[in-house]
Amino acid sequence: MNILWGQKHFKMNLQELNQNYNCFNIIEELKEKEEGKLSGYQISVKDCICVKGMESTAGSAILKGYKPLFHATAVQKVLDEGCKIIGKTSQDEFGFGSFSMNVGIGYKQPLNPVDKQRVTGGSSGGSGCAVKLIEDKHVSLGESTGGSIVCPAAYCGIVGLCPTYGRVSRYGLLDYGNSLDKIGPMARTVEDCAKVLKIIAGYDPKDSTSLNEPVDDYESFLKKGVKGLKIGLVKESLDVDEEVKAEFMKTIESLKEKGAIVEQVSLPLTFKYGIEVYYIIALSEVSTNLSKYCGIRYGAEEKPEGSFNEYFAKVRSKNFGEEAKRRIMLGTFARMSGFRDAYYIKAAKVRTLIIQEYKKLFEHYDVLVTPTMPNVAPKTEDVKKLTPLQNYMMDVLTVGPNLAGLPHISVPIGDDLPVGFLVIGDHLQEGKIIQVADEV
Amino acid sequence: MKFESDVVIGMEVHVQLNTKTKLFCSCPTQGSEEPNSRCCPVCLGMPGSKPVLNKQALNYAIKLALSLGCEISPELIFSRKSYFYPDLAKNYQISQYEIPLGIKGKISIEGKDIGITRVHMEEDPAALVHPEGMAKSNYVLIDYNRSGNPLCEVVTEPDLTSPGQAREFMKNLISVLNYLKIFDIDTCIIKADANISIKEKDYTRVEIKNITGFKEIERALNYEIERQKREDVVLETRAWDAEAGITISMRKKETEEEYGYIIDPDLTVTTITDEMVEKIKVDMPELAREKALRFVESHKIRKEDAFVIAQQRELANLFEIAVKKVPAKLAVAWVRHELNRVLNYNKKSLEQVKLDEKEFIKLLELIDKKEVTENVAKKILEKLIEKTFDVEKYIDENKLRAVSNSDELEEICKKAIENSEKAVQDYKSGNEKALQFIVGQVMRETRGAASPQVVIEIIKKII
Repeated sequence: MNILWGQKHFKMNLQELNQNYNCFNIIEELKEKEEGKLSGYQISVKDCICVKGMESTAGSAILKGYKPLFHATAVQKVLDEGCKIIGKTSQDEFGFGSFSMNVGIGYKQPLNPVDKQRVTGGSSGGSGCAVKLIEDKHVSLGESTGGSIVCPAAYCGIVGLCPTYGRVSRYGLLDYGNSLDKIGPMARTVEDCAKVLKIIAGYDPKDSTSLNEPVDDYESFLKKGVKGLKIGLVKESLDVDEEVKAEFMKTIESLKEKGAIVEQVSLPLTFKYGIEVYYIIALSEVSTNLSKYCGIRYGAEEKPEGSFNEYFAKVRSKNFGEEAKRRIMLGTFARMSGFRDAYYIKAAKVRTLIIQEYKKLFEHYDVLVTPTMPNVAPKTEDVKKLTPLQNYMMDVLTVGPNLAGLPHISVPIGDDLPVGFLVIGDHLQEGKIIQVADEV
Repeated sequence: MKFESDVVIGMEVHVQLNTKTKLFCSCPTQGSEEPNSRCCPVCLGMPGSKPVLNKQALNYAIKLALSLGCEISPELIFSRKSYFYPDLAKNYQISQYEIPLGIKGKISIEGKDIGITRVHMEEDPAALVHPEGMAKSNYVLIDYNRSGNPLCEVVTEPDLTSPGQAREFMKNLISVLNYLKIFDIDTCIIKADANISIKEKDYTRVEIKNITGFKEIERALNYEIERQKREDVVLETRAWDAEAGITISMRKKETEEEYGYIIDPDLTVTTITDEMVEKIKVDMPELAREKALRFVESHKIRKEDAFVIAQQRELANLFEIAVKKVPAKLAVAWVRHELNRVLNYNKKSLEQVKLDEKEFIKLLELIDKKEVTENVAKKILEKLIEKTFDVEKYIDENKLRAVSNSDELEEICKKAIENSEKAVQDYKSGNEKALQFIVGQVMRETRGAASPQVVIEIIKKII
């Protein structure tokens, strides 16, 4: 395997690579077809996406040993195009984090290839790390609920594309927040993202929420330039670290030079309530999704003793990590009678208003842009000092497009540590964000 | 709510719809009884699987809601009802909460309207099998064949005032299901939970779970009323043990159950358009009540007969065909009484015996034309519910046609009298019974094809 880092090529096998960076939970090869649009490509798959017969645990001890009986639709589609699957990438347990530090019990945190003391971002941290490291034709299938594709893309310095909600089938995805989850490609180039998205996008009768709309030829949006495109620069997003802001503004200037029209726009509601709304909805949903993991049919089990409640409690207490437990409790609270109207129902209503706020802007702008993350990849030691709430606040720039189900792509900018440039499009306008991202 | 009656009962009935496949996957609802042979990642709740709505089940549920006079919601929204229980594949059940499919319906029984609060759709949990009975087993087996079967829950207002009424309600509901052909009495399950309280104990409510069948409803509720009169009553949930004929306390209800409902984000909102509802309405059959009233109106039969016949779809169909060919009185006698007698004797329902309609009607026509006697016809009917045959051919082959030609019959009678000298003498000396001997001979000769009354008249005339 050819590894490119620091402008030096060197050979390293995947096992050695993983010993250094912990980007894979499972290393295993699978190929079903020789010929196809992806022949010659290697695809790594985030652990929460099912690959038939390949241990898929979403990075959680509670699913240890679970080998799915079926491929996720997205996985089947890339296999049908002749790629080789190389393994399952590490992540925050069930996607619960922005730094890939909340890995499940017994799992290792992936390390940032740029600086191993720094985090990869999360929750698709293993994917971000692997894409940065593996030079050969390699694309990773990531998954985003509130920013889990673009955050590690920004921190690791790669491209990550999160499509419109429903554009890529969720069949075979281990659910976090079902109304928010999206599978999307993470790659070294915008071109590879466009190529793989074209293949995995499309209607799937097995996922009721998948969109029955034609799939655009995304690659045709490459190298089209940005001349005349109207770009809305979200002013609330400029409240970020200086180094990020400086790199971001440099890119804005270069887009202007290429003929784009950039204007400042505002998303007051999204920035005021986005984080709260996102966490209430995502955690309400996930607290029901995780109920099924109780040690009966698959995954971790314990000695069957006591009543079924005692048994379930034992399996779950022992095998869920701390953050998973926190999110189950918060989510369960938000949907309890007496609190449900004030939290879950209210959040659903505000979410609709947030969608409307975006839709209004898209009447006038082709795309919106912000930095992807408010900072460069922080050091693991520094993140450890953050409270859970400070942790959640790191998603301030990414929860908006995720709540609204809008397609967005993070492109690496910056000369020193990588910075992410986020391009957000209207629903099903993946073509346009690819067009802009290609010029960044 | 203020109650006045001695007993107050409200029901929640779970009806299994007889669709071919389950509510959210394409596993068959019927077939192999081998445990866990009819399940897939969806109904097993495997990680990554997603539910997809079975449109047929929605169609059936709309039919049911409409026939109970419900208002139909313009949107079908499913919720997750969360609770941990080993029979739930996902530890939540996909059900409906805020906006049920149908609301504000009613069903009439004994001239009284019973309010239907709501009709909603949900999935069935798996079956728990206790190998040595619930009390003894220290482990339980789970069979997911049932997991994901489509159910409709029908919830009534607390309008029922006696176990008898509860039974009538169930009977009527089953009749509706039968007419709509959305329920199969042989293979589908119908289960009721009943909330019951009595005036004597200040209407403290007890819920009785898992009562199967309408006869059991009445038994369970009768038992519970007696128990409540006898014991202290607390707010609780009890289970009906049909074998022992008693209710057993399951859990005290100090607080309302907490299900933490959320909208199921794996399922999109299905719009139920007026066109959809209208299309279903057009296909809806006439139900028992309207049918019975029409029978009374157009065939002048007794109301009681009409309601008994109309309650069972197959019986009503048969009656409707029969009444076109023979007088209504004869049709009632044979459809309501004779046919039921034969079925009851065989402990079978009409659906189970596959009675050939055409041959049955032909038989009635022959009775009407007096081509066969009623006695012969009864025997033929007993055979006809076992297998189909050509009734007329059978009659001819076995020489069962009624001897209606009186010359021929007179000839047979004369012969019988000649052969029965002693009986004739006995009769003449006042022994009425002696006549039966002669009649018997005639009947034997005609293989029962002569009417006994006619034969007696002829014999008396000759002697």
